[in-house]
Amino acid sequence: MRKLNERFQPVVTLLARLILGGVLLVAGGLKVFKPAESANAVAAYKLMPTELAHLIGYALPWLEVAIGLLLITGLLVRPAAVLSGLIMIVFIGAIASVWARGMLIDCGCFGGGGEIDPSLASEVRMNYFIEIMRDLGLALAALYLYFFPYGKLSIEKAAPSTKE
Amino acid sequence: MAKQQVKSGDNVTRWIVIAMVLLVVATGVFFSMLSQKNEENASLAALGGMKLKPAITSTVDPDNGSAIVFNAGLPKVIDIWEDPQCPVCKNFEDAFGDYIDSLVREKKATVRFHVLSFLGDESIRAANASFCAADEGQYLDFHHALYAVQSPLENSGFWSTETLIAIGEKIGINSEKFTKCVKDGAKVDVVKANYDSMSKFGVQGTPTVFINGKLWERTNPNFDLGEFSAAVEAG
Repeated sequence: MRKLNERFQPVVTLLARLILGGVLLVAGGLKVFKPAESANAVAAYKLMPTELAHLIGYALPWLEVAIGLLLITGLLVRPAAVLSGLIMIVFIGAIASVWARGMLIDCGCFGGGGEIDPSLASEVRMNYFIEIMRDLGLALAALYLYFFPYGKLSIEKAAPSTKE
Repeated sequence: MAKQQVKSGDNVTRWIVIAMVLLVVATGVFFSMLSQKNEENASLAALGGMKLKPAITSTVDPDNGSAIVFNAGLPKVIDIWEDPQCPVCKNFEDAFGDYIDSLVREKKATVRFHVLSFLGDESIRAANASFCAADEGQYLDFHHALYAVQSPLENSGFWSTETLIAIGEKIGINSEKFTKCVKDGAKVDVVKANYDSMSKFGVQGTPTVFINGKLWERTNPNFDLGEFSAAVEAG
């Protein structure tokens, strides 16, 4: 297992960076020029005071774009991975919370957001499940990048191995 | 698992990159807020061009969810359930507002406006002001004006008491009674009665329309005036 990881690690790291970074870049990019929509989407979770929710709604798309670019280019991969892992955990918690409270909303993950009418209840709950699984997968990618941030096609490189 | 080690000696560059990321995020937030405020102020300024139509009196009907009722007693009855902050209600109003206006002014139908307020404090404030405007006989125009300046951001702080009074002023509702009514939240009880009646009438979202008590369901993905007016005529 260890041998296998040693052999493929540079490629796996690259893939993890592209997947996690790509998703963040797309998610952020779709929202970045629709600030009101994004702020509404965060407020729809009803997890914090409206004004704070709006502020986070404004900031989140830019943060996602920035982290996405860092991951893709291979700059500050470890800090970027830690931050995106934390963000994913927050997303999972937020979606689980609206699910548990019986609320029906669009997660607003890739734009959109807000309440959904009850006729779509079962579909919405299925979406919650899929979104949590997706974010869990992305959190695992972030975890891998925390341990192995340096691979192929990266601006920053790993220090030369100390093992001789 | 053994963590990979970072190449040493690039700390300054690291901090510069981190600072740049923070700068990008902060700039983004700043411009998002600024454009939001500008948009709201521009829409309010644009209201100046709106002219108040003749006053038309309405009643509040406690038996029908305390809705604002025009032309009570006509054979055709249209119930409209809206929240002033609901964005789809704005689309509805943009598409059908003038037509519904004509139904009221030409006495073609009894129209009941159920003014809801489930989207937060600014909905309650706007609904209160709507009932104040109804007392002046200007509900219809105030309703148009509200949707004309509806912020894309719910509860953005835009529909303050001051803004709501300013909206009234812009379209020519200047009476002291209106100002006082908006300021005092004089109508919050009836606003609450509207909200509380939702479940009784099986209304779960907005906009919801009943034509002669029958739920109107559109087949067109957009609000199509032909489809709606046909449904009203058929009633």
